[in-house]
Amino acid sequence: MDEIFNSPYYPYLPPLIASVLIILLFPLIAGYIVLLERKVLADLQVRLGPMRVGPYGFLQPLADAVKLLLKEDIIPAAADKWIFWGAPVLSTFTALTAFAVLPLSDKFFVADVNIGILFILAMSSIGILGLIFGGWSSNSKYSLLGSLRSAAQMVSYEVPLGFATVTALMIAGTLSMQGIVHAQQEQGLWFAFGNYGLMLVPAVVFLIAGVAETNRAPFDLPEAESELVAGFHTEYSGFRFALYFLAEYASIFVMCALWVTLFWGGWLRPFPNVGFLEVPLNYGFPILLFVVIGLGCLKGFRRRRMPIEQTVIIGALAGAMFLVAALFAIPAANPYVIGLFWFLLKVFLLVYVFIWFRGTFPRFRYDQLMEVGWTYLIPISIGALIVNGIVFLWTSGS
Amino acid sequence: MPEATFLDSNELVLNMGPQHPSTHGVLRVILKLDGEKVLGTECVIGYLHRGVEKIAENRTYTMFNPYVDRMDYVAAVSNGLGYCLAAEKLGAVEIPERAQVVRVILTELNRISSHLLWLGTHALDIGAITPVFYCFREREEVLKIFEKYCGARLTTHAFRIGGLQYDTYDNFEQDCLKFCDWFLPKVDEYEELLTTNRIWVARTKGIGILNIEDCKSYGVTGPVIRAAGLEWDLRKAQPYSGYENYDFDIPTAQNGDTYDRYIVRMQEMRQSARIIRQAVGKLPSGAIRGKVAKVFKPAIGEAYQSIEAPKGELGYFIVSDGSTQPYRLRVRPPSFVNLCALDRMCRGALIADVVAIIGTIDIVLGEVDR
Amino acid sequence: MRELLRSVFLVDLLKGLWVTFRNQKPSLIYTEEYPKDRPAVAERFRGAPRLNVHPDSNETLCIACNLCALACPEQLIVVTSERNEETRRKELTNFTYDTSRCMFCGLCEDACPVDALELTQDFELAYYTREGAIWDRQMLEEGPLPTEYNY
Repeated sequence: MDEIFNSPYYPYLPPLIASVLIILLFPLIAGYIVLLERKVLADLQVRLGPMRVGPYGFLQPLADAVKLLLKEDIIPAAADKWIFWGAPVLSTFTALTAFAVLPLSDKFFVADVNIGILFILAMSSIGILGLIFGGWSSNSKYSLLGSLRSAAQMVSYEVPLGFATVTALMIAGTLSMQGIVHAQQEQGLWFAFGNYGLMLVPAVVFLIAGVAETNRAPFDLPEAESELVAGFHTEYSGFRFALYFLAEYASIFVMCALWVTLFWGGWLRPFPNVGFLEVPLNYGFPILLFVVIGLGCLKGFRRRRMPIEQTVIIGALAGAMFLVAALFAIPAANPYVIGLFWFLLKVFLLVYVFIWFRGTFPRFRYDQLMEVGWTYLIPISIGALIVNGIVFLWTSGS
Repeated sequence: MPEATFLDSNELVLNMGPQHPSTHGVLRVILKLDGEKVLGTECVIGYLHRGVEKIAENRTYTMFNPYVDRMDYVAAVSNGLGYCLAAEKLGAVEIPERAQVVRVILTELNRISSHLLWLGTHALDIGAITPVFYCFREREEVLKIFEKYCGARLTTHAFRIGGLQYDTYDNFEQDCLKFCDWFLPKVDEYEELLTTNRIWVARTKGIGILNIEDCKSYGVTGPVIRAAGLEWDLRKAQPYSGYENYDFDIPTAQNGDTYDRYIVRMQEMRQSARIIRQAVGKLPSGAIRGKVAKVFKPAIGEAYQSIEAPKGELGYFIVSDGSTQPYRLRVRPPSFVNLCALDRMCRGALIADVVAIIGTIDIVLGEVDR
Repeated sequence: MRELLRSVFLVDLLKGLWVTFRNQKPSLIYTEEYPKDRPAVAERFRGAPRLNVHPDSNETLCIACNLCALACPEQLIVVTSERNEETRRKELTNFTYDTSRCMFCGLCEDACPVDALELTQDFELAYYTREGAIWDRQMLEEGPLPTEYNY
């Protein structure tokens, strides 16, 4: 053991383990985000969603993964083969690389780069190339037009995104993702509620721009099914389509994580500096949550007649929830997992909000979409930047 | 001719093929585009043509009744009403009071269910994916009432020549009233979700304008002409089946764009609920079928009867040569005539609006093609 | 002024979000899980045809009057009968009903004077072959027997 701790390669070991874990786990998590989307959309639409594969549809992502892997790999005859192959790879690569700087917790993360925000924004910009290459290599007029529209939308919404980010950075004082969370810890509040509530404006602008950036409803015209100009991924099928899908959900996760880091306190608990709330929030809340979920699983399988394998799965799930609750109760282990818990909870709340938006709003037409971005969001975000800057200087200076 | 690349701003011909999620059936629209603006459209129809009018020449009048439901399959009861009224006009048959009132109740329920389907699919085309499920949930209740009354949900075959085949089932009045009470707050919910929503307004206001003169020249009827401003409803203008006894308003709007048609149809749903409540209140007892011979053989002649179907003026023109089978039966389908105005409405719109405009005319291909 | 505030604070969008949010109650879920829960259809449902038999003597109620075949718009009923010399009446031998062309309009059911032919509440009529759609007398008297699933 001493050899491992003393070897010059030791500092690389935790980030390596973390990145391998992320690469291995993320397809599974993306699959479960898809299932979450289907179930939440179904809930909003007064229906049930997937229910057959696994208990309450819980194993649906496995069925989807198997289906996509077993599909025939069709490449259009006139397509540019190498770019056709490389485009989804590029999208997935940039989306997953952004995970490297996400502040998952104060103790568990891949790397704390001192220009973290810049890195993520750069990665999302390069990801747009993956879209363009996909549309170009399909060698179809409509795919190219669709991908160009999609790319134009993403590029134009990066401007308000950037301005909103800069507003938060101004108050944090650093570009590093961990540094931003530490700044929120020092100031004792999540940035969305900072500056006497004036920071809500950049937070909302970032949210809207984030929805547009990830091509989600109400800004999903380029890839909507009922439109004529088909999206960039029309010609993709099977595993390549799965990669694009994975990239899209990874970028949703990254966008939500970015919003949480900048405006919602990252891995901090609510009221991070209030001492007496530590035990109820850091111990009580997670234990309660997991115990309630475990009990809910148990109640779930008593309500329906299920075949034996589904009962076993739900039983195992309930058991896992109770184990996790027990983990949070151990004082020695709690500080290591609590940061991750709060971060993931907030990110998934935001993913729910994204799905909620998709279920509620109709779609913007393309010119209206661009109008919202250029004529509304950019002036508002610039104005918010100026106002927040002035207020921040005034309150911190005096 | 030099080869034009797609980046030149020449005309581009785009085919919105028969298989498309938004064309409400098998409709093929050929669009002539300049960039993203539509210069002209051409509809190619006939993918669902089944020769219904020809079939009519080889069936007796009673036998043809079930075929009529299959034209506008969304609002089958209205089709049946139009056909029965036309045949009764031809054969000079008296319809008893009770039959008329039950016919009105079922037809208005049918209007509600047709508008609900229209709302759900129109919202789905524009991108709102939840109203369709809410609308189908309401529609489910209406279809349950139909099922309890005549045995089928969609192709109801509810009426017969001379009146009704079945008398109402035991809880018919309570079911209808319960439905009206349950349904009206849901209309408010749809309005809350869509009417003031800025995205919805931006997608539908000013799109697909058709003013009154254009409506008249194309022969467009129904909610389209009412949204343009003309208060024309056959239930008030040429009342049939006892509609003159009920008190209801005709909703109209001013501009004749997609938003106005949406408002008009929502109001129509409310007015239909009002009519149902009145009709259930005054349901008389009595016979359900008038005196009609077992083998229906009208005298030589012709008759035209038009009704206010949910989509517009639905007319039946029957020519009889004295035998048990009609000599010629011609249907005036509202969807077909309204679809002719698509070209006028789409000039100058963008591609994304074409989908909204097709949705707002409320076409059913079964009726367009017959 | 009020309009301006409403549009700045995105009130219309928030109203829409609230509508979909409150529809998330599990008690409002409207799905019927078929084939686990078979729907309860109405009494007058026009489903699979059935030739009724007399409950006591198991004799068919059909008097072979051929009215249903004459009433059918698609002419898919074929009634064959033979004359029984003793009772001087027609007796039903075979009754063929083509469910693949049937539109379940109910005219045959309306025409039958003795309520022998009835459209029941069965709607699961799938078959593996085209010929399986043509029902003979035995199938009409027994009715379709769809598979029941365990869960």
